[in-house]
This record gives sequence, structure tokens and C-alpha cells, in this order.
Amino acid sequence: MTGKVTREVRRETGTGTDLWQVIFAPIVWALHFLFCYVYAAVYCEKAGRDASLDGPTTVIIGATVVALALIALSTVRLWRVRGRSLTDNDFEFDHNTPEERHRFLSHVALMLCLLSAVAVLYVAIPMLYLTSCR
Amino acid sequence: MTIEDKAAETAQLEKVWARPPGWRYLSDVNNSTVGLWYIAAAFAFMLFAGALALVIRLQLAVPQNDLVSAETYNQLFTLHGTVMMFLFAVPIFEAVAILILPAMLGARDLPFPRLSAFGFWCFIIGGVFVSSSIFFGQAPDAGWFMYPPLSTEQSGIGADIWLLGLTFIEVASIAAAVELIVGVLKSRAPGMHINLMPLYSWYVMIVGAMILFAFPPLIAGDLLFELERLLDWPFFDVTRGGDPILWQHLFWVFGHPEVYIIFLPAIALLAMIVPTFAQRPIAGYSWIVLSALGTGFLSFGLWVHHMFTTGLPSISLGFFSAASEAVAIPTGIQIFAFIATVMMGVVVRSVPMLFCLGALAIFIVGGLTGVMVAVAPFDFQAHDTYFIVAHLHYVLIGGMLFPVMAGVRYYYPFAMGKLLSRQLGIWSFWLMFFGFNVAFLPMHLTGLLGMPRRVFTYSAEMGWDWLNLMSTVGSFVFAAGFLVLAWDCVRPKRHEPDAPRNSWNAGTLEWATPVPAPPYAMRSIPTITSRYPVWDDKDLMASMDEGRGLLADAKEGYRETLVTSVLDAKPLQVLRVGTPTWLPMIAAFGLGAVFIFSTYKLWVPTAAGAVVFLVALMMWLWTGTAVIPEKDSKDVGGGLHLPLYVSGPQSTGWWAMFITMTGDLTAFLSLIFGYFFFWTIHPDFPPPGIDGPGWVWPAVAALLAFVAWGLTLASRLLNAAGRVPLARAALVGGFLAAAGAAAVLLAGPLSTGLDPTQHAYPAIVWALVIWIVAHLAVGMLMQGYCLARSSFNKMTPRYDADIWNITLYWHFIVFSTLLTALVIGGFPLLA
Repeated sequence: MTGKVTREVRRETGTGTDLWQVIFAPIVWALHFLFCYVYAAVYCEKAGRDASLDGPTTVIIGATVVALALIALSTVRLWRVRGRSLTDNDFEFDHNTPEERHRFLSHVALMLCLLSAVAVLYVAIPMLYLTSCR
Repeated sequence: MTIEDKAAETAQLEKVWARPPGWRYLSDVNNSTVGLWYIAAAFAFMLFAGALALVIRLQLAVPQNDLVSAETYNQLFTLHGTVMMFLFAVPIFEAVAILILPAMLGARDLPFPRLSAFGFWCFIIGGVFVSSSIFFGQAPDAGWFMYPPLSTEQSGIGADIWLLGLTFIEVASIAAAVELIVGVLKSRAPGMHINLMPLYSWYVMIVGAMILFAFPPLIAGDLLFELERLLDWPFFDVTRGGDPILWQHLFWVFGHPEVYIIFLPAIALLAMIVPTFAQRPIAGYSWIVLSALGTGFLSFGLWVHHMFTTGLPSISLGFFSAASEAVAIPTGIQIFAFIATVMMGVVVRSVPMLFCLGALAIFIVGGLTGVMVAVAPFDFQAHDTYFIVAHLHYVLIGGMLFPVMAGVRYYYPFAMGKLLSRQLGIWSFWLMFFGFNVAFLPMHLTGLLGMPRRVFTYSAEMGWDWLNLMSTVGSFVFAAGFLVLAWDCVRPKRHEPDAPRNSWNAGTLEWATPVPAPPYAMRSIPTITSRYPVWDDKDLMASMDEGRGLLADAKEGYRETLVTSVLDAKPLQVLRVGTPTWLPMIAAFGLGAVFIFSTYKLWVPTAAGAVVFLVALMMWLWTGTAVIPEKDSKDVGGGLHLPLYVSGPQSTGWWAMFITMTGDLTAFLSLIFGYFFFWTIHPDFPPPGIDGPGWVWPAVAALLAFVAWGLTLASRLLNAAGRVPLARAALVGGFLAAAGAAAVLLAGPLSTGLDPTQHAYPAIVWALVIWIVAHLAVGMLMQGYCLARSSFNKMTPRYDADIWNITLYWHFIVFSTLLTALVIGGFPLLA
């Protein structure tokens, strides 16, 4: 316990981070993933198995930058919440107010941003190593 | 309020929620009854599939065995996989959730009890149909994933039984998903903010959402598959422009998330059991929520890892390999959170905990071999060998069966009011744990030594004989352990004392239920202020029992439960839920008849079944939904007056429609995916020489569908503004426009002579057209229904839930129709 006093905000019911904002980053991951897969699959199907992947590599890197930027946007917004649990300044979030619920969902969303960013990078890695459609 | 008044309230609750007596018991729809039926049925199917597995093991015990023929063996392993996956693993999730979720959330029942009953009857009819096929030698025999062309060109009626039986069961799953998502979001006890709800409900909500995106692609695949088998439309026939890989995509887009659909609810049981026996709150609640959400998403990026050996470009394999590795991160977080909870608590030794620890041990092995096979080059070696059989059984038995066994042991006192025997529990655990490992651990080696899965016998010089014998012995020990547990559950316990209330000293709300549980579940609905209310609020049980909570009466004689807001559980409405009726069962039998008779191409009984289904459905809707209450609001206690009727986005019905249509849209998009899949594999698409459907017909159809949608929306607005005659006129106009849209859409491929049996292109165009026409027809039925409701004054400007819901349906349909028109009419102009 840090001893820091957490200030309780009088938040209205239903305001603050909601479930859609929580799943924003994973949705970005899903779209990025689908784009990478569909784009590369269509490219290889149409260009033949000997085609070089140089062009698609640039496109996928571009898509990855866009996806990471979108996730970063969400992260910056959530980073401002930063408030920990109202009760003990920890990550338990077991207080029964709308403010606590907002902080809880913000924490979940923030961690999901991180997970989604890692997963986006994972998906982009194979593109950096493969050179042809074989 | 006097003691007499309180007693009168209790008596009234008893009367309103009473279970129907005698044989009318089968018409019950209450979650506590349907949940038990559901669990019992799922376990019966599990025992059946387990018996099939034992025959498989006997056949493989020694080389060159001739216990069963190759044909029978094919049916045995296909049915074993199919029944375990579709009739046990997925339904047991729905069954357990229906049984325990309302009590956990502080609701008297789920929002749509009749829908649960309908889902159960669909499940049991479809399940019995599929399972019994083996006794007639007609069981499906092409493996549980039914790959064409083997299944389309060689299988007998078994493949049709598989398809139609399972499509029917998928309907039940989607019904359960609708019920459970709305249940978690809208029927929590007041004060149960979303950060306070039990972890189990988080998992249920996530899995419900996953079902909406995973099952529909399979339904779309089933449709294409059956069109090929029944009408010879060549979706998967390479000689006529089809491709069997399309089936593999559609199957595994379902099949991989399905593993997580099975795994997450089972691990959710651990999230309830572990804190109880560690006697402390779960460690890292928010971390578990985020990892469950993360797993839910990432699990959709894995499906191609079942197709690593189909010759896809290595870059495709790379993407899916990467995502398959990434999913280990959130899965690991959950496991670490459980281990941390155990380490920080004071563990009470108990049988459920034994099963939990066994589950973790087994699942971790399965998870690690999963990381191995996610690496494509290793998978090339291990693909279709017994290594995969070992891996998948470690995942499913560690990730699903053991947690469910822990859940059965844990929730038995809650559901049945009696305790299970500790001795028998310990015996069953060790027999199962030991037997399982003896059976499946050697299979890793058998697989690496090269034994392919699904062979009915092998020769002695392969060196697989002693490993197989060991597996067979282990499987019988495993089965013995399971039988001990089953016996403990079903043995008569009439003379044993009732279990004490909250027998495990747990902290979550479902344990506040009295023993034996009354059908109304709780005397009054408490206000929740913490994550473990039974631990934190010492007055909770007394306050509930003495009727000091909300909704302590049922004066008006209706079954009622509270609807609260999504995030903060603020009370919004008193919802009157369905009472016992035969209609869901009759509707399920009607729909079952449609599926079963159409398998055998008996069209007259099929049509009769459809009529029974529609009539039962209409009666059910007409008499049981959006009923106008006798007064506007009700005093629920604590000075709170809540409305009895809500329409639009605040209502549970609107959400149910939204969720259903999300699933429906996914199925439609899977068909669109099929269209573009064919485009990628053909150098010229549409193929030269096949013209149609042209752009004119689809464009006109889209325009008419747009008009039908606009008039439906106008009707809702006019009705709300009190201009009822105009609203009715708009509905009539919308009906006519929809009929026109359907006719014009059909005219496109008809007038241009598209022959669906000629090539995959006309076939997929026809499939899309039929899909849309069927949906337009349902939309017209809905418009007619609203017109009738309005005419009989069952729908008024104030009470307009019906038209809100059908307008929502039309939002989805107009989108699908416009997209179809663009694709079938517009895309050939570009390509």
C-alpha cells in the first residue's frame, strides 16, 4: 500500500469506459489479422507460387503501423485514467461505485491494448522472414 | 408487515413458481428444471460416446484384430468425436450455465425460459437422432470433420444424418447463447456492477459471443454441403469449379474457436471453485477478465493450423502459426492467476479441488504439446498421427472434462441438495487421473513412431502393439473411475440428510440459496455491494430469507424477475418471464421432424413438421411475448417503482433479436466469403460462357428491399406517433415491396439461365439468392405478425416492442440484400 489517498470521483452511472471501448484493441487485432491473411492469400493465389513477397511485405508493414497506431490511440486515452482501485490503491477493483467500474474496465482495456499490440507484432513477424509465396 | 403477511407472500411465490405436477413436469421451463434435464442428457450422450471409445480401444488392443470391421470402426470413431464434441462438450456448457447462472446473478430465472426449453428439446431430439444411427449401421463415417470429397461422394446417408442432426443442435446452441448473453448483461441483482459479477458470468458472456461468430460459418458450410449432397450443386467438386478446401475453412473457422468455447466455460468453473477452497478472493480478477477476452478474440486467428498440410502458401501458415503461439499468453495468465490464488490462500483439501489440480496438470501438458504442433514444420510430421490424438485429449480432458467433474462435485449440493461421498470421490479421481495418463501419455510416442489416426488395425512389426495395449488398459481404468463418479451421483440418497446450506463456505451469491432450493430460487432479491457477498455481508442470507430484499412478492400472479442496466446493474424493469407450456416442446418436435424427414427425402412429413413448427411458434409468440400488462409499473420494495413493459434498445427482446441477427449476419458473410473464395481460385471468375445474373435484376431487388425496410421503419415511427392506420398501411406496403424484392431477386438467375449444377459459380450465386429470399420471407412473416398484433390491439403506440424488434431485423436484412445485390450483380462487372 502506498498510502496515497485516492480521490473518489462522483461518476454518473453508465459513463466512462464501456464494453465497446474494452474490445476496441482486440477488434483492431482481428481486422489487422484478417487483412494480412486475406491480402497475402489472394496475392499468392493470383500471382503464383514463385512470386516474390517484396511488395506485400511493404503493405503488411504499413498495415501493422496503422494497427499499432490505432491501438496506441486507445492506449493514450486509457493511460490518462491510471487510477487504481478506490479502496486500497491496488488492482483488485472491488469497490461498488460507477467510478470503480470505470477504472476496472479501463485497466482491462489498457492491458488488452498491450496484448493486442503484442499479437499484432507476432502476426507481422512471418512477413519479415519469408521472401516468396511458396 | 406482519408475520402472516410474510407467510402469505411466501405461499404466493410458491404457487406462482410451482413446478407442474405429474406428467406435465415435462412442460416445465424453469431454469432449475431444464438445466438438470440438460445436464443429465449431456452426460448420457457422454457415456454413450465413451462406450464407443472403449470399443475402439478394444479393437486396437492387439495387432490385426478383427473385433469390428473397418466400416464399423469408421462409424465408431466418427460418432465418438461427433457426440463428444457436439452432444457433450458444447451442450454441457449451456446446461451448467442455465442451471447455475440465475442464482449466481441474483435472478429468479433467465429472461427467456421458454427459449431454454426449446433449445433443450432441439438438443435431445437431434442428439438421439444422430446417436441412434449407429444401431442401424447408418452412422456418419468420414470423421468428425466430414471432409469432402470423401463425405460428399462416398458416404451413405450417414453424412446427411451428421449434417442435419448437427445443424439442428447448432440452433440449440445459438438459442442458449442468446439466453445467456442477455442473462449476464441484463439480469444481475441490483448493485452488481460489472466489476463485481462472478468470473463465471464473464466467461459465459464471452463464450456466448464466440458462439455467435463461430457456429454460423458451420451452418453456412452445412447449407452448402447439403445442397451438394441433395441437389448436386458442386461447391466442393473440383471437376466443376468447386474446392474441398472451402469446407475445411468453414469447418475450422467454427472448429478452432469451438475448442475455446468448450475450454473457457470449464475453466470458468475453476475460477469459482479455486477461491472457495483457498478461502480467499480470486487473485487478479481483472487479469482473468482480460485474458478471457483476449483468448476469445485470438482463438479466431488459429483455424488454419488444422490445415497446415493442405498446401497453402507458407506465408498463410506463418500468420496462423504466430497467432497460435500468441494465444498461449492469455491462456497462461489465467492458469497463473489460479495458481497464485491457491498459493496465497489456505487450501481446504476436498474432492473438487483434487479435480481442479488434476485438470491443471493435464491441461498444461496438452497446452505445451499445442505450442509444439502450432509450429508448422513439427505439425507436418505429427499431422494425422496419434500424437495429435494425444494432444487433443490432453487439452479436452484436462481443459474440459476434469473441470466439469470438479464442477459436478462442487455444485451437486446446490443442484440436488445432497452431498456426494468423499471416499468415492477420491477413488474416482485417482482412477480417472491414473487411467487417463496410462491411456493417453503413450499415444504421444505411438504417434511419433508413425501410427496414423483413424486406422482400424495395424501389423505387429510396426512396433506399436505394447503401446496400444497399454492405452487400452488405461482407457478401461479411466472408464471405471468415471463410472464410480456416475454411480455416486445417481445412487439413491433419500435417507441421507440434506446438505447444509452453503456447504463449502463459498462466497458467491448462488450459495445463499436455501437447501432444498425452492422453485422461486430466492425469497427476495438482495442488493449486492461486493464480489463475494456471502463472505462480506453477514446479514445477506437473513435479509433475503425474511423478504427484506426487492421483489419479495408475486401479488399479481406472474413470474417476475428484475432487469438491470448493463454496466452498473441499476434496476430498470420488472420482467415477466414465461410460464410452463408445451409450446417450446411442440415447436422443437416440429422443427426436428423437418430436419429428420428431409434427411430421408420424405417431403410430405417434412412439410407437415414445418407447419407444426410454425403454428407452435406463432402461438408461443402471440400468447407469451410482449403481453400488455394490467398496469404501468410495480412497487418492488425499497420505495422503487419499476415499469412492467419496456420496448426498444432497453428491452431484453430487442437485445435477443440483435444477438440472433449478429449470428445470422455471420452465417451470411460466410456465404459471401465462399463467393470470393471461388473468385481467388479461378483465373476467370465468373467463368467464361456463364452469364448472369446481370446487374439489372439485383439492382431492382435491392431497391425494393430498401423500400420495404423504409416502410417498416416508417411504420414504427408512425405507430409511435399515434398514427396507427398509417402505420398499418406502411406495413402492408412493406410486405408487398418485400415480396417484390424476393421475386425480382429470383428472376435474375432464373432469366439468365444460371444452372447451379453446372459450376460452383452459379451454385454460389443461387445459394446467396436463396438465403436472401428466405430471409425476406421471414421478414414478411414478421410484418404480417405486427399488422395482426396492431389490428387486435396487442400492439399500440405505447406498447410497441414487436415493431421495434422486427425493424431491427429489417436493418440487418436490408444490409444483407444490398450487399448480395452488389456482389452478385456488381462484382462480375469489375472482375
